[in-house]
Amino acid sequence: MTVYGGFEERLNIVAAGFMDAFERQAEAEQDSFGNKPYDHLSMRIKSEESMLKKCEADGLQLTPHNALKVIHDSIGVRVVCLFPDDIKKNAELIRQMPGVTVIREKDYIREAKPNGYRSYHMIVEVPDDRADVDGNLPGRYFIEVQLRTIAMDTWAALEHELKYKQNIKNPELIAAELKRCADELAACDVSMQTIRDLIRS
Amino acid sequence: MKILVAEDEYDLADVIHDMLEASGYSVDVAENGQMLLDMAEQSAYDVIISDIMMPVKDGLTAIKELRASGSLTPVLFLTAKTQVDDRIEGLEAGADDYLTKPFAMGELLARVRAMTRRGRLYQPKVLTVFNVTLDTEKEELSCHNSISLAARESHVMECFMTSPGTEFTTEELLSRFWKNEDNADEDAVWMYISFLRNKLRSVGAKATIKGDKGGSFSLVEE
Repeated sequence: MTVYGGFEERLNIVAAGFMDAFERQAEAEQDSFGNKPYDHLSMRIKSEESMLKKCEADGLQLTPHNALKVIHDSIGVRVVCLFPDDIKKNAELIRQMPGVTVIREKDYIREAKPNGYRSYHMIVEVPDDRADVDGNLPGRYFIEVQLRTIAMDTWAALEHELKYKQNIKNPELIAAELKRCADELAACDVSMQTIRDLIRS
Repeated sequence: MKILVAEDEYDLADVIHDMLEASGYSVDVAENGQMLLDMAEQSAYDVIISDIMMPVKDGLTAIKELRASGSLTPVLFLTAKTQVDDRIEGLEAGADDYLTKPFAMGELLARVRAMTRRGRLYQPKVLTVFNVTLDTEKEELSCHNSISLAARESHVMECFMTSPGTEFTTEELLSRFWKNEDNADEDAVWMYISFLRNKLRSVGAKATIKGDKGGSFSLVEE
């Protein structure tokens, strides 16, 4: 038995359905150059191991109800954009998606985490045509959507690697330099956004 | 380099004006402390020389107000008073040096040169204006988060933050920050203003750089 109590397949279907619906929503938003407002989408279902750790950290028992209803990121969808302003555009698209309820938004771009992490997070609730773990019909699933630029995504990938690497020499130095990289990438994002605005104005 | 002289004795102001201009400085004269403040807000000076006893607003009050507005322009007081207490009060008010009347023009000139020579070293590495902080050594702008600046962005930002509210023309900025670049024009200045505006916005600063392409720019609270 998995931590998701047999609902794992539904999670994949719900995630794919959300991404399809979002793509259709975004098609209408192509700019004058025929570009979508994002570069690419990706998704993941939280692994059993990660879910176990999260439940432990939150003082929760590892049950399908807790994994699907109390914890909100069993499904993760990432929207990776070219420019910082595109993030706002995509967040607005998500708010306008039919059937999608925004539960919470957190702006880690304006309030970057102390380590330098930047992304725009949204927790949304979406319907499914089968019953969910609590017996609701239509079922309801939570999705954590992370919106970020390619630069922020690259940075997060490196930071993720650091987090899971054991026995790193001089972790303070690495953390400080990683923070500096985050601020330089943010500077580059803003500069490129500015140049795009100047070219297009 | 631009110097503002605040002196209500017309003859003395005239002599100082001529002597400094003959030494290659561009000089404006204010007749009292209020004029000093008004003129310092309208353009950026490298040094301010101020008398203490003046009508309308005395020099001590004017310099206190100037410092309270965030200005870091070096100030030299001219004073007829020879009391130690008065000199202390002048320095405490925010002046950087003083000269007791009567003085030799040569000494005034030497002191002005000494003050401008110290230049950047003289100013703090971390400037905070409104709710935004610039670390000129790390070339970093911060408020709700922090962001790196290019070297030129940092220099231009330092200039605005040293004299908040003061207007700088496109030509002034070009001559200060694009010194040896013949091709630089108002487009270059406008691009850097745009960079800084967006960076101020991205750190969540309650401040922006006001002004239009080709015109004058100043750092203002939002």
